[in-house]
Amino acid sequence: MASIELLILLTLALAVLSFLLYKWSPRFSSAITILGSFLVFASILYQGYIGSFDVGVTYLPYVSFQASALSTFFAVIITFTYAMVSLFNPYFLKEDRGGNLHNLLFLATLAFVLGVLFTNHFMTMFFFFEAVVWTSLFMIPLKGSKQAAVMYYGFSAFGSFALLAAIFLLRANSGTFLIEESLALVGGSNQVAILALLVVAGMAKLGAFPFHLWLPEVLGKAPDHTSALFSGGLEKLGAFIVVFALVRLAPFGPTFAAIDLAWTKYLVAILGALTIVFGTLMAIRQDDAKKLLAYSSMSNGGYMLVAFSLMNSISLMGGLYHVLAHALASVAAFLAIAAVARQTNTTKMSELGGMIHKMPITYMVYLIAIISMAGIPPMGGFISKWLIFQAVINKGLIFVSVAVFFGSVGSFLYVFRPLAALFLGQELPHFKKTIKEAPIFMLVAMVILSALNIVTGVMPTPILRIINKVIVELGMNEVVLTTYTIEGFNGLLNPGLIALVFMFGVFVAFLIFISLKKSKKVGLMDTYTAGNFIYTEELMHYSVDFYAPLERLYEKYINIAKNVYASIDQKIKEFGRLIKYFVFSYKPEITAFWLVLLLLIFLWGDLL
Amino acid sequence: MNIALFVAVPLGLAFVSILHKKLAPILLVVASLFILVALSFTEYGITIIGGFDAPYGIVLLLDPYRLLGLYIVNILFFIVIMLNLKTYQKMSTILLVSLAGLNGLLMTGDLFNLFVFLEISGISAYLITSTNKNPLASFQYLVAGTLGSSLYLFGLILLYAMFGTLNIGDLATQIGVLDNKSVVLLPFLLMFLGFGVEVKLLPLNSWVKGILSSANTLSGPMIASVYAAAMSLVFGRILNDLFVFEGRFQLIVSFILLLSILAGEAMAYQSTKIKEILLYSSVAQAGLVILLFVSGLASWSLFMVMANAISKMILFMVIAEAAKDGKDDLSSLKGLFVKNKTIGLSFTFASLSVIGLPLFMGFVVKMNALEFLFAEQLYLAITAILLASVVEGIYFIRMLLELWSSSEHSFTFPAKMQYILIVLALVLVFFGLTIEPIEALKDGIESTLHGGALWLV
Repeated sequence: MASIELLILLTLALAVLSFLLYKWSPRFSSAITILGSFLVFASILYQGYIGSFDVGVTYLPYVSFQASALSTFFAVIITFTYAMVSLFNPYFLKEDRGGNLHNLLFLATLAFVLGVLFTNHFMTMFFFFEAVVWTSLFMIPLKGSKQAAVMYYGFSAFGSFALLAAIFLLRANSGTFLIEESLALVGGSNQVAILALLVVAGMAKLGAFPFHLWLPEVLGKAPDHTSALFSGGLEKLGAFIVVFALVRLAPFGPTFAAIDLAWTKYLVAILGALTIVFGTLMAIRQDDAKKLLAYSSMSNGGYMLVAFSLMNSISLMGGLYHVLAHALASVAAFLAIAAVARQTNTTKMSELGGMIHKMPITYMVYLIAIISMAGIPPMGGFISKWLIFQAVINKGLIFVSVAVFFGSVGSFLYVFRPLAALFLGQELPHFKKTIKEAPIFMLVAMVILSALNIVTGVMPTPILRIINKVIVELGMNEVVLTTYTIEGFNGLLNPGLIALVFMFGVFVAFLIFISLKKSKKVGLMDTYTAGNFIYTEELMHYSVDFYAPLERLYEKYINIAKNVYASIDQKIKEFGRLIKYFVFSYKPEITAFWLVLLLLIFLWGDLL
Repeated sequence: MNIALFVAVPLGLAFVSILHKKLAPILLVVASLFILVALSFTEYGITIIGGFDAPYGIVLLLDPYRLLGLYIVNILFFIVIMLNLKTYQKMSTILLVSLAGLNGLLMTGDLFNLFVFLEISGISAYLITSTNKNPLASFQYLVAGTLGSSLYLFGLILLYAMFGTLNIGDLATQIGVLDNKSVVLLPFLLMFLGFGVEVKLLPLNSWVKGILSSANTLSGPMIASVYAAAMSLVFGRILNDLFVFEGRFQLIVSFILLLSILAGEAMAYQSTKIKEILLYSSVAQAGLVILLFVSGLASWSLFMVMANAISKMILFMVIAEAAKDGKDDLSSLKGLFVKNKTIGLSFTFASLSVIGLPLFMGFVVKMNALEFLFAEQLYLAITAILLASVVEGIYFIRMLLELWSSSEHSFTFPAKMQYILIVLALVLVFFGLTIEPIEALKDGIESTLHGGALWLV
């Protein structure tokens, strides 16, 4: 199989090719993106499977690569996400005005992501990191929202520059830009700053509190299938950086003895917990299905932060498995929503309903995805959350564990809302004729994702074994696994058995369902409330004010973060206006005034 | 070839052009071309003017730093006049004089001679900006510029009174052995403030807004790119060779520079007119360049000047051309690049280079500058630069997205401009992709930067 360098170059070449050929045939151009993504995925998977990567470099200057278990793990997940999303590409070209640009950027980001994951040099990593930001940036406004792109840039640039500062500090500390060496040598007075900067870089990319503002904007307003890419793929780069900061840097600083955790890591865990809580609360409020999933992505990013900050094998395994499980679930969910949006041109839940009648497979895909997201067996999300819960409780982190459980319970509240609003309920009259099930390629992608969502929940041990390798590489002990069980802090987990019990439950429910009387179908306008005929049935829609009483509890506080950033924006502008007012005018004497004033300041007494 | 010709030829031709007004544009092109060709036949060294040996007589110097500076200024100057020759024929004589002044500025090794060239190039700059049809702004520029050069003159007189020499190398040697360096801080302060006006440091740059917000395709690129490059290079060279920063002086200088960077970006951030965005952004960049010079990183500052000059040339040329009718609001130029893809690409490359995107020259320069600042542990400056970069990126992205957004805009650019600007943009890409030429140049420059090997015979 091709070396990493060749893969990157080939992907870039294919990106240009698909750009150029778009005019000739959009379909062919999209086929190239599919081919490219699958090629990269297959190659990474194969090389990861045989356990040896070809990291030789012949063409690219200043670049060198290395393959670690960690980078392979992330690379497989992200390239798989790309492969799945690429199957959607042919169907979304009409909506995106710059289809050629989209295809170019799609493959280009993929190439640069590989660069970020596999380089062994921090400057190269920063280079690729920036390249990912810049290429992905221009995918966002293809559906028309420039504001989201600017926002994305603002937060990403903040993250990138934090990363850059961390890199330079690391270099000053250790004298090298090489990732392994410099991370191993960190010490001295700058180590807290390095940790903080790396965490900020990761959190900005991950969309964690307080850098979460771009997430709903971008995921909500990007082209529908691109949102899946951001959520399942690019966001995970943040987790990758966070692992550097939290796991690979040796712990330091004063330690809280009771919980055996350095205060820096505890702080990150708290931020992770806040991310979970805020993400959950905001997700509950959303009317737009994509924004809802975006906030859910945010809250799941919080789980990763918590998991990576706890410093033990179980939590690390939980965190890494959560990266995988959440990627699979959120990509599936976003793609399902994208499939619906392609048919209906909206993602607002209050405008949709009854999609299950025409899009049953998409419905199943979404159902499985949200079960996984909510952490219910027998899906992958359950395994990772179980591990994280174990670790958090075992550490005795009360606030964090409350947040973690709150997030899980909250996710029940919000993930089922799109299910009910979008797919279930009555079919809306204006969609009755036009809606069809998604095209075959889209179904293939979604079904594969669903299958994996189930497999990761029923038979997680093969994957956990791979994660064990990552954990050992990161310098911790393996988690004990048998063929069917995982050993946690308080006992064994047998996912297969749970799945069997679950299946039995479903079977019983099914028996009850068929033995009972069939439900009666009624027309949409056949609704009565308190004896009144309802003319505005939209208001009676499932999702309008779904959780009104709950939302009322915190609706006053939802804009705090937004207002903070808005006021930062205002302050910068005001500062600019202030200086402009005092310096720039058409009066020549202004310059004279400032010159004299500066001279006076200088010459006052014997200041000089 | 005698390097004095770089001053003498344009100056001489300027006199000829007064006598033969019709020949003036041709003479301008001839002079500019002559210098471009002659630059490749010159050798490093000292040229003594008038037969008096240094430090007594005036000397012109050529070393790798100055040669690269001359290349940058002359090539960009040539591009500007080629694109404006037809429209602004009447300015030819003045442009000849300004060419002489700029070249003299870059080469001279004598503080008073530098003042003379400062005045020559300054006066031609005021006249060039008179094409803006904004006499008030030009007048303000004149007042500010004159104030600045007077302060500079004041400073150099003090230095002359103290050391009895005007030769920069001689002065540097004498100051180097001085026990109490605080005595030279006052002249340096005066010179710093004087030059601060020319390189548009806050709060001495009130002229910039009037000049550049009404700039045309001649005055915009000329002031924002060619003059800015020449002034920063000359100022930077004096900062590097001569200046001593100590105590309170250093503190206030750093404050002025950080204020320039932060406030420049903030002012650009709040603007909605493209020319204003660009001009405030160039205030910030001027602050950054001078900050690097002050911190002692002359070689990379030179490259930053170069990257900025190329970028600003493209940015101001494009916007001045597109906003001929005086409307340069973001909203009125929306979708400008949809039909002008080549111009749009050059503009985009130039802005991305300014922000410091990988693959462009700006990135290489910024990274090396930051690496240096980190090594020097100037964390305050680093924080300011990085935060300013975030803001800078945001308003550039906003501008680019607006200009590329798919609404109709019927303006088309002249073909000549498209070709020239895309070549310039590709230069930025070239230096972003390959570091070797810059590294090679850098070694040459650094070998002659410190200790002033070429100052004295």
